[in-house]
Amino acid sequence: MNAPAHTLGGWRHILGTLVLAVLLEQFPWDGWALALRPDFVLVAVLFWALHQPTRVGFATAFAFGLLADFQDGVVFGQHAIAYVVGVYLALFLRLRLLQFDPLRQAAQLFPVLLAVQLTVLLVGWLAVNPPTTLAVLLPAFSSALLWYLATGFLWLWHGKGLQDRA
Amino acid sequence: MAMPGQFMFVRQLGPTARLLIWLLVGVTCVVLDSRYQALDGLRSGFSLVLQPVRQVLRAPADVATELGGFFTRHRALQKERDALLAERAALLAGVNAARDLERENAELRTLLQLQERPGQQLVRAALLYKGHDWFSQRITLDRGASAGLRAGLAVVDAAGLMGQVNKVYPGTSDVMLVSSPGHLTPVVIERTGQRGLAAGSGQGLMELRYMPAQTDIRAGDRLLTSGIDRVYPAGIPVARVSRVSRSQSSPYLRVECVPLAGLGRSRAVLVLAAEPQEALP
Repeated sequence: MNAPAHTLGGWRHILGTLVLAVLLEQFPWDGWALALRPDFVLVAVLFWALHQPTRVGFATAFAFGLLADFQDGVVFGQHAIAYVVGVYLALFLRLRLLQFDPLRQAAQLFPVLLAVQLTVLLVGWLAVNPPTTLAVLLPAFSSALLWYLATGFLWLWHGKGLQDRA
Repeated sequence: MAMPGQFMFVRQLGPTARLLIWLLVGVTCVVLDSRYQALDGLRSGFSLVLQPVRQVLRAPADVATELGGFFTRHRALQKERDALLAERAALLAGVNAARDLERENAELRTLLQLQERPGQQLVRAALLYKGHDWFSQRITLDRGASAGLRAGLAVVDAAGLMGQVNKVYPGTSDVMLVSSPGHLTPVVIERTGQRGLAAGSGQGLMELRYMPAQTDIRAGDRLLTSGIDRVYPAGIPVARVSRVSRSQSSPYLRVECVPLAGLGRSRAVLVLAAEPQEALP
């Protein structure tokens, strides 16, 4: 296992950085500073999810997401869902990420952070004006069915499926 | 149980299963909050915890503003004083005229046996925090239910209408700004008296909706609240028309307006806490 990952961060470190991140977000940010303000809490949560995955994980991310929802005055769950997705992606990339130097880690985390922002946007949009019907999702199901039929037909045509099952 | 730092042969759900569980919890939260307003208690709790923190953290910015003000040049102060004196004289003349009108109005009202307008009570509040939301524009004020605020009250600054109190906590309150996308304000064009609906269009701007193509409106017209919604008192300046254009595809004019209130700048605001009005018979 990765040695520094386990010497880094006792409970006090984890709590300290998370509280510091929350405090930083409570400044009266305004204008450009507000638009550019990094999501301190998200960065702290993802950092600890990478380095201390047994201590900081989905539950912590969800709780701090609720806090972020309160801060922005949006519907509860918007940031919570996004942070949980972020932690999942970070855990998915964990072993790979920990081997990189800081610059490459940042570059690899960028799509994760982008995905978190897009999730916030999507959940917020769904919560503010929910679609009247879920019929927009039907093509996904019918396309999946078409995929099954077409691939199954091709397998049978080439006899591949029969060989595999035999 | 899993020991910290031990990863092999840990007996617990995989990340994907845990993700799905938490997504389910999250969706439940969204539904509970947006459909049933069941989580307002949690919101109040967060506000109670964070309010003192925000009060403290606002101090550095306030000190910086104070220091900046201290070093304002003497000449600038003198100039400002002269301008204020002139303005005061003009206002005093206006006040005398208004007193006269008020008396006359009272007499006419008694003649007409109309209800007296409820007295306006002002609550001073200051900007405490700004949220960062893509779907609406809000600010948090440092006064709440303990100062007598209720959801629905109008918030103004010196220049005009800022918005409406949206959520009230014990010591703070959230204000939805007039420029918030989809937020409607019933207005009247000051020059012609025509009524209309001004909607926020995001990015700190507003638009006047559903104005027929032959409407008499031009850039520079002021929009005041019309008061027909019984939310905003009548006659508060809201916005100035910045551009009027005709579109080929729509029967209505495209009227862009700039809010008069310093939505992004004002730090000190007033909340108009009127007595609850009973509906007219």
